[in-house]
Amino acid sequence: MKLEVLGISKRYLLPILDAVTFEAAEGEFVCLMGPNGCGKTTLLRIIGGMEPPTTGEVRIAGRPVTYGGNHTLPVGVVFQEDRLLPWQTLEENVALVLRPLGKGRAERHEVARRYLRFVGLHGFEGYYPNRVSGGMRQRAAIARALAIEPDLLLMDEPFGGLDAQNRRIMQAEVKRIWAETGKTILFVTHSIEEAVAIGTTLIMLSARPARVRELIRNDGRQDPRRLIEELNQMIMEEVLRQQGGPVPGVV
Amino acid sequence: MNEAKKLSWQGWGVWSQRLHLPTLVVFAVILVIWEALARRYGAYILPPPGSVVEGLISVLQSGDLWRHTWASLYRIAIGFGGALCLAVFMGLAAFVWRAARVVVRDTVTVLNSTSVFVWIVVSLIWFGLTDMAPIFTTFMITLPVMGANVLEGVESVDRRLLEMGQVYRLSGWERFRAIVIPSTIPYLVAGMKVGFGLALKVSVVAEIFGVTSGIGYIMNYSREILATQMVFVWALVMILIMLVTDKLLFEGLTRRLERWR
Repeated sequence: MKLEVLGISKRYLLPILDAVTFEAAEGEFVCLMGPNGCGKTTLLRIIGGMEPPTTGEVRIAGRPVTYGGNHTLPVGVVFQEDRLLPWQTLEENVALVLRPLGKGRAERHEVARRYLRFVGLHGFEGYYPNRVSGGMRQRAAIARALAIEPDLLLMDEPFGGLDAQNRRIMQAEVKRIWAETGKTILFVTHSIEEAVAIGTTLIMLSARPARVRELIRNDGRQDPRRLIEELNQMIMEEVLRQQGGPVPGVV
Repeated sequence: MNEAKKLSWQGWGVWSQRLHLPTLVVFAVILVIWEALARRYGAYILPPPGSVVEGLISVLQSGDLWRHTWASLYRIAIGFGGALCLAVFMGLAAFVWRAARVVVRDTVTVLNSTSVFVWIVVSLIWFGLTDMAPIFTTFMITLPVMGANVLEGVESVDRRLLEMGQVYRLSGWERFRAIVIPSTIPYLVAGMKVGFGLALKVSVVAEIFGVTSGIGYIMNYSREILATQMVFVWALVMILIMLVTDKLLFEGLTRRLERWR
């Protein structure tokens, strides 16, 4: 499954995205970075069909994404917050999103239990979200995204709310899931260390309005420490540009 | 103070609060004052507590208690139940249709500003001396309370959860069932609780006019035949009905619905 982002622009009072273009081949782990507020989340929302672009097109496996969420292919989304229904158990939460796939009740729950086990939540199926830790909730959200067997997994700073230790554990977990399932993953993060540690393709967006400033193949041949240094340099420049430069669209 | 003694004092404090002991002490003081005032002013103005207890026993034995209580509860059930159904329907409309939300909010505001007496008088004109007067009055007074609550519930549904439902391609009905209903129900139950209390108070007032059963009727009748102690008996019955429904019905309902918290 191939992801094509073709000249996506978005204006919302200010121009936010300016002709963002890139491609990701099947099985790639794409990490999207950029200064705070540059439009990373907006771009992910457009790719997921949660927001329409002003111009441009997103194609998943060659088919254009339409706004409104009625994509023909399932796309799994892990949000910044877990977005679990607090009145349903973890198992019910995962089973819920299997309804549109036309599976029977018994099968939905069996699949839900399988994916909860896959993310290390065996034994917690019957717990309500408020009774487990933030890391476990985020795992459940990942299980939900995987359970629909999506061709594309969108993750929007999914570990933003976790402490450093949980964050490292979850990074390793996501890397394992990616290796075991071969999904194409688009991962938004503001942590360069995180991106270099888990991504195969690193995309650095520029200051607002965001363009693709740099696309780096992280195939292990680069020295990760030098890579982190370079990317840190880039992001510093973009942050300064975003803060100090004239803001387009405002007189 | 040594530790054991301190602990036993703390334990005593917890238990005395659990048994509402401070309240009971205040009640006992009030009873004493009541008794004293009753002796001073006579049983017509203020019947002594003892005669109220006797009166309660007499209506229990004669079966009047159940007859009038059921008559009142029956009217409340229809008026309150009707208002509940319409409030839920209004909430549904407000969720599905943005324009309906404005209409519902304005209607609730207007209804909230009308007096109980307006509906009593109007229903006497429209329905005459029938059951419909207390029923209609209860309906019109409880509708805005529950309507406002349901509306607030519908408006407070987490947009982010709805978006999640959309991303995962849940149908409109599935999103409504799994997301909108569970987040609205606590508001609905809170509205029902307030609405039911209001229904009891309002329907009793409406029963003063035109009907020949119900707590409001019998209270007014007791006043006419100068049986002041019976007015107090029926007031006590109303308080008991309120406490019992609150404890048994609404507390149980709330606990059951909020298991996940």
